[in-house]
Amino acid sequence: MSSLAISGTRESGQDVRTANVTACVAVANILRSSLGPQGLDKMLVDEVGDVTVTNDGATIVGLLEVEHPAARVLTELAQQQDQEVGDGTTSVVILAAELLKRANDLVAARIHPTNIIAGYRLAMREACKYIRDKMATPVEKLGRELLVNAARTSLSSKILGSAESTHFANVAVDAVLSVKTGGGKDGVPASYPIKSVHVLKCQGRSARESELLPGVAINSGRAAKGMPSRVAPARVACLDVDLRRTKMKMGIQVQIDDASALNAAQEKELDITRDRVKAILASGANVILTTKGIDDAALKYFVEAGAIALRRVPLADVKRVAKATGAVVQGSLADLSGAESLDASQLGTAEEAAERRIRDDTVTVLRGCRSTAACSVLLRGPNEYMCDEMGRSFHDAICVVKRTVESGTVVPGGGAVEAALSVYLDNFATMLGSREQLAIAQFADSLLAIPKTLAVNAALDATDLVARLRAAHYVAQTEEGKAGLAHTGLDLSRGVVRNSSRAGVVEPALSKIKSIQFAAEAAITILRIDDSVDVARKDADPEG
Amino acid sequence: MQAPVVVLNTNAKRESGRRAQLTNIAAGKAVSDIIRTTLGPRAMLKMILDASGSLTLTNDGNAILREVDVSHPAAKSIIELSRTQDEEVGDGTTTVAVMAGELLSVAEPFLKANMHPTVVVRAYFAALDEAVQHAEKIAVALNADDTEKMGAIVASCIGTKYMHRHSDMLVRIALSAVKTVRDEVDGRIVIDTKTYVKVEKLPGGELEDSRVLDGVMLAKDVTAANMRRRIEKPRVLLVDCPLEYRKAESATNVELTKDSDFRALLAAEEDYVTRIVGDLLAHKPDLLITEKGVSDLALHLLAKANVSVIRRVRKTDNNRVARAVGATIVSRTSEIVDADVGTGAGLFEVTKIGDDYFTFITGCDNPRACTVLLRGGSKDVLNEVERNLQDALCVARNILLHPKMVPGGGAIEMAVAAHLTAKSKTLTDVSAAPYRAVASALEVVPRTLAENCGAKVIRVLTALRAKHAGGGGEDAVFWGIDGRSGVVVDMRTLGVWEPLIVKTQTMKTAVEAAAMLLRIDDIVSGLSKPKGSGDGVGGGGFEED
Repeated sequence: MSSLAISGTRESGQDVRTANVTACVAVANILRSSLGPQGLDKMLVDEVGDVTVTNDGATIVGLLEVEHPAARVLTELAQQQDQEVGDGTTSVVILAAELLKRANDLVAARIHPTNIIAGYRLAMREACKYIRDKMATPVEKLGRELLVNAARTSLSSKILGSAESTHFANVAVDAVLSVKTGGGKDGVPASYPIKSVHVLKCQGRSARESELLPGVAINSGRAAKGMPSRVAPARVACLDVDLRRTKMKMGIQVQIDDASALNAAQEKELDITRDRVKAILASGANVILTTKGIDDAALKYFVEAGAIALRRVPLADVKRVAKATGAVVQGSLADLSGAESLDASQLGTAEEAAERRIRDDTVTVLRGCRSTAACSVLLRGPNEYMCDEMGRSFHDAICVVKRTVESGTVVPGGGAVEAALSVYLDNFATMLGSREQLAIAQFADSLLAIPKTLAVNAALDATDLVARLRAAHYVAQTEEGKAGLAHTGLDLSRGVVRNSSRAGVVEPALSKIKSIQFAAEAAITILRIDDSVDVARKDADPEG
Repeated sequence: MQAPVVVLNTNAKRESGRRAQLTNIAAGKAVSDIIRTTLGPRAMLKMILDASGSLTLTNDGNAILREVDVSHPAAKSIIELSRTQDEEVGDGTTTVAVMAGELLSVAEPFLKANMHPTVVVRAYFAALDEAVQHAEKIAVALNADDTEKMGAIVASCIGTKYMHRHSDMLVRIALSAVKTVRDEVDGRIVIDTKTYVKVEKLPGGELEDSRVLDGVMLAKDVTAANMRRRIEKPRVLLVDCPLEYRKAESATNVELTKDSDFRALLAAEEDYVTRIVGDLLAHKPDLLITEKGVSDLALHLLAKANVSVIRRVRKTDNNRVARAVGATIVSRTSEIVDADVGTGAGLFEVTKIGDDYFTFITGCDNPRACTVLLRGGSKDVLNEVERNLQDALCVARNILLHPKMVPGGGAIEMAVAAHLTAKSKTLTDVSAAPYRAVASALEVVPRTLAENCGAKVIRVLTALRAKHAGGGGEDAVFWGIDGRSGVVVDMRTLGVWEPLIVKTQTMKTAVEAAAMLLRIDDIVSGLSKPKGSGDGVGGGGFEED
């Protein structure tokens, strides 16, 4: 029986803390083997047998159905990292779990959690400051090579990383750079809305044959076979207008007194649609996209005019096309005079609209659009699971490229930042004469979880490698003229330490800072809990 | 006291590490073993009874695997390869699954020897690149007008099928069908067999009676018995609107106050039908085909004007007719212009085959769409013939689009394998062994060919390997196994050729899929279906095709 007045179970003090930490560490342990270039993938199968094969931390924990409440905080942490940064979801979970584990040891050694929390906060702030001031390399001229390297670092842990990383890194960089908006002389900072990068997945061919389609691709073919499969130059009308036989809205009835007027009503319905199509064609449009349907009767007019019409195109696609070609999405064709017309100024332009056959499907590609602020990437692969995983990996890569060009600073990867911070924080801790010293020292040790895991996943001697890594960073921070060693990271295929920046292993600084912040905050949130009440549901067991 | 900490859903089952890898490999091998015996000219058929009791007799890899119900996720992913292969190139569906299974099984010793999967995967990808390049180097260019060579390629595809006895006929059918629908748009060749080649199966008759029509066949009869059943040089009018009174889409209410109103209403409906038929007759059609229904009144009027009517034709069929006779499908009768009437057909004829009437629109000047008429003993046989024909059509299309071919009979696989083995000797790092393993996995194709025809596998394979390893000189790449007799022969004399694109696609799909499965070290199953967003964490803007 519970001692509470309410029915339910209650745990408090050390018990709940240990339980929370155990749960979090369990989640991190599941993810651990997927970190780094030698990390492996997980296969997740749901009740109905749908399969997901992935290396993405956020996707794994998202699908794992973590039930423990504290561990769910970590699930959300990974998802938050995914939304904010887009990459580094696995490492943030591992780091948070490590912080918790070490904090729990400190509590066992009779240090009050609030002291640990204060220490962690201080360490986190110091760490972020250190990255910003000392580690981050400002990239004056954003060389393309650097962006490709950043994308490749992100891809290296994924299925695409094994052989095709350079190809995909280039595609990712091209994609992100092609959606650049702003950044001109008007002072608007450049932004790279990665939502404009449209990813089409299609089974078949090989991953290597994935490509950046020049322009916008829409996942549907022309509505009637009689239409041409290619028009150039294209004048694009983007419509959100129904081109089916016109029908009165529900509840509206047409009252007819004269029997001969019955046919007139029917004729009128066809006439209204015909006039709409004629109005559209009169504007000079030869590529027509609509989110609604097009009647067979109406298709004929398009066929006769030699225009391509696509029906039931998703609104998101229509908007993307509108953005790229400079067209305005038309909600209705009504003009001020009450008639229906379409002004030529509302049309977008592209050099060419052509239909392409991919496998058994057709896609329509608009090439040479007026603005380049949209592009499409076509991913190919042997089966659905791999295409999906390629989509996720590719998303991570374009996020990394975006962060790199936006923040303008990079840090060396391969565990270099973590090792440098751990050496720095260790020194910093010894300068502090308060209780927080212990917590900061543990924070410093926790950071080493990342290089350790990287080494373990590559089946290398973690202890030896991490020691060498730390030694290099200690020299870099203490001895004059050896600052170059601060870029030392792990080379996991050969099992040695080397200069990560020179080897092209770089990550955006922002992503590192964010992941340390997120991990520390999540650990602190869980650490503050000292009481857990699980209220029994009313209809459950009344004994509770 | 500390309660056990439940982290995951208790229903979830987890398999991780070595166990997960080995079960994936086992599942992949199991799938490839199912269809191994259906490879090559001595292939056997499979009889598959599905849950609803319907029967499939086939040796098409995709058709077999589609019916097999598997639960292991890795096995499912292998099965999907066949489908991908089928949709991309239409042939080689068995080979791809067999090769993927073999690539998995040759990786097993490396994993057991504690080699890191990423090393194996990297070696696989490197080998794939080299293999594709080498295959392209071996490939022989082909003149698309060389009917004899084209026929040889299609024949070697059919050679592995049930139909090989009638191979000549199928080859002729496939080639002429594909040539019929071949079209050139802005310099690009477009061959849309899916839309414009229709295969109609009519049980009865002899297989030899099968043929390609220079036009279209519809499984329909004229709507009224007294209509003409044979018209030479018909003027064909195609409509997709009903020839009966059609109500307006909007809710229309008619209030009648006098009985004469009612008569007027009926008259209005009749007038409407008379008017649209009048519109049609103004263009003097001999044959009218509609996708919708025809009312009795309209039928009467049309019959009186000596027009034959066929109703309720499917949209896809109507599209083919339109293309064959050069007509435009019209939907509003008042808008018909003379150019919409098709005059390209030579003969319209309704004939009775068995118990049913069939409409033939043949003798078209420039058909560009056709119907392939298959005759044969039973429905099951016809179904298999159709599957074979579909493969043949795909091969014919591929070769017209990408006129490059490679020697068949396992020769290309053996040549690539020999090249990879030689190349692996120049590799100095640990990846040399898995690189070589890809070579031995490719040998599964000649090996299975030899196995299936009952040859002495080891002896034949060794002889072949020796040939390719340098004993055969310049022309060694053309040596493969005659899948009928199991001896090593020059494929140029045997005339077994395959399209390059099928072979490279097979290797690409098999290697990439195997690599994906090898990278897995954890299988969690029994998770409930994710709600709502699904795997939305991957970011917005993604969609399935």
